[in-house]
Amino acid sequence: MAEKMQLCNISENNFEQCTKCSICTTVCPVAAVTTDYPGPKQAGPDGARYRLKDKAYYDKMLKLCLNCKRCEVACPSDVHIADIIQRARMSASEGRRASLRDTLLANTDLLGTVANLVAPVANATLGLKPTKLVMHSVMAIDKHRTFPAYSRTKFETWFKRHAASQQDAFSNHVSYFHGCYVNYNFPKLGQDLVKLMNSIGYGVHLLDKEQCCGVALIANGLFKQAKRQARVNATSIRQAVNGDGRTVLTTSSSCTFNLRDEYPAILDVDTSDVRNSIMLATRFIYNLVDEERIKLVFKKDYKRRIAYHTACHMERMGWQLYSIELLRMIPGLDLQLLEQECCGISGTYGFKKENYERSQAIGSILFKHIEDAQVEAVATDCETCKWQIEMSTGLPVENPISILADALDVEATRLANNLTNN
Amino acid sequence: MVTSEVYKKEFDVIIIGGGATGAGTARDCALRGLSVLLVERFDYSTGATGRNHGLMHSGARYAVTDGESAKECISENMTLRRIARHCVEETDGLFITLPEDDLEYQKTFVEACQRAGIRADVIAPDEARQIEPAVNPDLIGAVRIPDASIDPFRLTVANLLDARLHGAETLNYHEVDGLIINQNRVEGVKLINKQNGEHVEVRGRVVVNAAGIWGQRIIQMAGANISMFPARGALLIFGHRVNHMVINRCRKPANADILVPDDTVCVIGTTSDRIPIEAVDDMRVTREEVDVLLKEGIKLAPSLATTRVIRAYAGVRPLVASDDDPSGRSISRGIVCLDHAKRDGIEGFITIIGGKMMTYRLMGEIAADAVCAKLGNTAPCLTAKLPLPGSEEDAPRQSDLTKRYSFGQRAAIGRHGSLAARIEKENDIDNALVCECEGVTVGEIKYAVHQLHVHNLVNLRRRTRVGMGTCQGKLCSCRAASLLGEFSHDVKRAQEDLADFLDERWKGMRPVAWGDTLREAQLTANIYQGLCGLDTAVNRQGKEDVQ
Amino acid sequence: MRMDTVIMGGGLSGLTCGIALAKRGQRVTIIASGQSTLLFNGGSMELLGSIDGQAVMAPLEAIPTLPQDHPYSKIGASRIAALANEAKELLADANISMEGNAEVNHWRVTPMGVAKPAWLTLSENLRIDDLAKLPAKHVALMCIRGFFDQPNGMLAQGLQKLGFDVKRIEFTTDDITALRRSPSEMRAASLAKHLVSNNALQRVADQINTLAGDAEMVLLPSVLGQNDESYFKALESMVNKPLRLIATLPPAVAGSRMQTLLRHYFQMLGGNYLMGDTAVSGNFEDGKLLSVTTAKLGDMPLRADNFVLATGSFVSRGLIADYERVYEPIFNLDVDADSDRELWTRFGILEPQAYSRYGVATDNELRCLKQGKPIQNLRAIGSVLSGHDAIKMGDGTGVSLLTALAAAQSTLQGKR
Repeated sequence: MAEKMQLCNISENNFEQCTKCSICTTVCPVAAVTTDYPGPKQAGPDGARYRLKDKAYYDKMLKLCLNCKRCEVACPSDVHIADIIQRARMSASEGRRASLRDTLLANTDLLGTVANLVAPVANATLGLKPTKLVMHSVMAIDKHRTFPAYSRTKFETWFKRHAASQQDAFSNHVSYFHGCYVNYNFPKLGQDLVKLMNSIGYGVHLLDKEQCCGVALIANGLFKQAKRQARVNATSIRQAVNGDGRTVLTTSSSCTFNLRDEYPAILDVDTSDVRNSIMLATRFIYNLVDEERIKLVFKKDYKRRIAYHTACHMERMGWQLYSIELLRMIPGLDLQLLEQECCGISGTYGFKKENYERSQAIGSILFKHIEDAQVEAVATDCETCKWQIEMSTGLPVENPISILADALDVEATRLANNLTNN
Repeated sequence: MVTSEVYKKEFDVIIIGGGATGAGTARDCALRGLSVLLVERFDYSTGATGRNHGLMHSGARYAVTDGESAKECISENMTLRRIARHCVEETDGLFITLPEDDLEYQKTFVEACQRAGIRADVIAPDEARQIEPAVNPDLIGAVRIPDASIDPFRLTVANLLDARLHGAETLNYHEVDGLIINQNRVEGVKLINKQNGEHVEVRGRVVVNAAGIWGQRIIQMAGANISMFPARGALLIFGHRVNHMVINRCRKPANADILVPDDTVCVIGTTSDRIPIEAVDDMRVTREEVDVLLKEGIKLAPSLATTRVIRAYAGVRPLVASDDDPSGRSISRGIVCLDHAKRDGIEGFITIIGGKMMTYRLMGEIAADAVCAKLGNTAPCLTAKLPLPGSEEDAPRQSDLTKRYSFGQRAAIGRHGSLAARIEKENDIDNALVCECEGVTVGEIKYAVHQLHVHNLVNLRRRTRVGMGTCQGKLCSCRAASLLGEFSHDVKRAQEDLADFLDERWKGMRPVAWGDTLREAQLTANIYQGLCGLDTAVNRQGKEDVQ
Repeated sequence: MRMDTVIMGGGLSGLTCGIALAKRGQRVTIIASGQSTLLFNGGSMELLGSIDGQAVMAPLEAIPTLPQDHPYSKIGASRIAALANEAKELLADANISMEGNAEVNHWRVTPMGVAKPAWLTLSENLRIDDLAKLPAKHVALMCIRGFFDQPNGMLAQGLQKLGFDVKRIEFTTDDITALRRSPSEMRAASLAKHLVSNNALQRVADQINTLAGDAEMVLLPSVLGQNDESYFKALESMVNKPLRLIATLPPAVAGSRMQTLLRHYFQMLGGNYLMGDTAVSGNFEDGKLLSVTTAKLGDMPLRADNFVLATGSFVSRGLIADYERVYEPIFNLDVDADSDRELWTRFGILEPQAYSRYGVATDNELRCLKQGKPIQNLRAIGSVLSGHDAIKMGDGTGVSLLTALAAAQSTLQGKR
């Protein structure tokens, strides 16, 4: 008999491994709040068979999919349900132009560059009521949304001015894919990472050329542009990994997931050769501790009660373990684990007027859990979850890296890792 | 007309057999103004009609060996595109030459196609790979021909519907157990109503035997004989379409050399084995047949090697020996119409046999011509001109589907053409999906039950595709059985029917029960036996296979 | 990453074992490739329900008569009673309130109204201790309009056969009607997600109170509370008659809740639950498993002193059947299975199927065999075990629970 006959089923994104068990339907946050969405099973593997028969079977309601991947995590058959749906959307979007609003929301770096230049004005303008109303009606960006504040100084600018020159002195090195959020909105997270890495003897370097990872472009159907940017990033990452022998660290779970998994699965940009060298900083640091190559020493007087929220893409990557275990190393931290629920924002989804109510309805379960947890802050590895949770609960939301940097006794850590002052 | 009144009536013509041929004959006779009764022992399209590739041949396959059949095919092919649009998908087909085949044969093939009037365009292997990415990339030659796929279940039902619209009566689950014969003249049929065991006699001026391979027994009932040579063919169904064109091997017909995209699936077939006439009711597929189909199938489309097989099935070709050579050495694949008056001295009895599912209309026309000759009816045949119900000129096409339809409604239009308008969709419950794989709604099931002669889940499957998807009825069969129970007010029967249906699905899954198909089977067992206790509720011991 | 024990499989057996170990202070990680078959469970556990087609009413008496290759025989018939007790306590600790005892089976009522022997059943579900003494005679069977995952006709007929006087009542509320606007997503779980506010529950209660008439008991499909039983309790308090639930077709709300509560309990005890990850290979040395590599943790394998295989049967992909053979996919362990494909199955869907008995080969301490030799620190539990047909014997959940606890005990002993 011929080799490899029927040894496995290979259908696009494994849609035919589906046994129709319907478990995915029990975890879909969108189907739970609207009857307009056909649910992951119908939109994904069931629909795929019909779309193979004729593209006319495409259902435009697939646009309601958050791409949160909870269906994929729950699926006992390894069907890439959300990928099937994104692929179908991509194929249906061929030749169609995205709206101005979607283009604007998707181009987080373009919006960021402009906003940084005029940060005080932008922050004021984006927050003003008349501006919001214009955005609500003309741009269809929901009026309830507050755009994340833009920083006056980009992270890249800060890094070049204040950090770059010291990095070569370290004996170990990593590259950092900071992402749009750190660059334009919240440079502090990037600064925290540099502080943390430097304390354990690692120099941090930027990539040759970094563009937005494209997670928002995919969500908004701008697949062509996403592909272009993906190729640029893939080239820079290859240079860092293969040329400089550095691991590429990230602090955003969505960027990480996109670089590692969505590039090949949705954009056909193969990053398999460097995939293992792209990772969240928490995973990298946890491993160093686990292998006893570094030590972390925390402040004695640190005391906080924080709840950890596993972002959907974080769970899809399966890496929450590292962030959680690292945070658990902080003696003064009372860490509460939140049940995994989608916060509802899913990148830019929740920013759209037509999605606002759905987005908040989806998040309501999580917000309730957070309220019940009675904590002073929430930790999560995803920046868009941060916006949503901050807006909806009023609690500060911090990246685990920032919490670690905050709790770290820098001097003691440097000593413990035998670093002399330089 | 209620069944008891049908029994009392005398018909111009009684047609035995509810396959495509019988249905086509019934439609033809009814359109010519005859009073018609069609009887079928099981469900419509249970026999060879529903057990083939679902291929609407261009005739190219027969061009080299049987020019006559090839001409019939291409002519019917073009007709069916017009009259049975909602049953046909105009996929086109390829005849590919692989490195192990003789490329010289391609020339012979193309010439033969041209002789038969079949468009046959030789295309470069590169172009073939481009228009059909699933094709074996090693091919060295390709010819594009007007093959298409056709749904035999819908086709048969559409013919029956039209026959009924023109006054015909049709009875399924009525088995002929004898003919009424008076002085060498067949004057009607003796029937058993298989649902209640009642024996009845119905009179007709002419009886047409369109019972396919089972027609040998009917001929024997008339006191004559015929030599039939059943040839069994097994096929495999894959879970989704890997190809969108029909793919054939360009060589002398052999095992597993046609891959057809049918509806949401694709089908590879067939094997060909002579079997004794006694074995025609055993349709279990053997391990050897599965092995051959896979081994040969992957030569047409290599991705079949890793595509989930959801089902195996087999059918019997009703091949007939020429009357002048009953040994079977010269078998006709063409259409055979026997007037038993001339052949055996038995009046009022005609047998129509041979041919192919897709030449059913022509067979119907030939049989109806013979009937009309006997009855002195001179009306012309209209079946090639008038579209079937569902395929009217203004019927929506699949490609016209717009966004205002739900998935279930669109799937229904794909299946029923313009008749989908009869499906209730005004309220949310009618739009609710019963079968999620195939998009069958409550409304569609109501329509099938009330208008398409559905007695059980297997019937329902043939009319709607309930349970024909990836999960083979795991989710939907309980929902569908409950609905049938509600409509018939017979819950007990509905529950037994459910067990029968699951058993019928398993019959096709079992020969291919590995990988995800075995997982599916285990999950089905977990749900229906473990969770529900269906095995405790019904007793299937000693039960016959459901038809 | 180093753990005391790594468990592959996050269903009933994996979680039970994980809880038992975490309770004793172990650091445990569970790798779960998606949700488990517990989501097909309507809310009952079965120790042993049937032998050769005959219902078993006293499972503890019947278990010693089981063949030697049955998992119960391997862990020792004499330990069953104690383990069953422990399992019942563990479930209670996880906030899963079940009733029943191992001495005498009771009857659970299936979605088709069939009575099947069971050991434990959720308190909220209809349970019959003695078929001659039904908990009520006149029952109102409340059927939700437009909900197709409960075969109401068959259920009513089955209940009547058991001796109930059944009044079938169809009802709906605004919330439920709104949900039916979706052609596909009116499932038990979606109903459970919508029937959470007091108002929504009150509307259901109002319908029941208006329509149930003189029935002594109200029966409702199990569509309440995906994560806890408080919604049932809330509705129960609003309905003016005794209320009991009946399992629906899957995914089942009760099973989904049991899965969630067990996982919560495990996580509360400090366990790590890696949802959506899969073990792909192991690193062996001298007949011991040193670490497992998972699909998502990639080049950082999980090291541990002990490992437990709880990956389930074919449906959960703990076993794989391909065109040529049956095998265990992570470590290629020895399996008890026929090599000839023809023997895996039988015609007749309700016939016993040979594949149901297939599983990983183990020694009497449930240690997995590889090339005939036991792996010292790798034990198999639950449906991945060979030697029993859960479908025909009604022992699936019992085997999962009890082998999990037995393996936890030997893991702890091995540690000492």
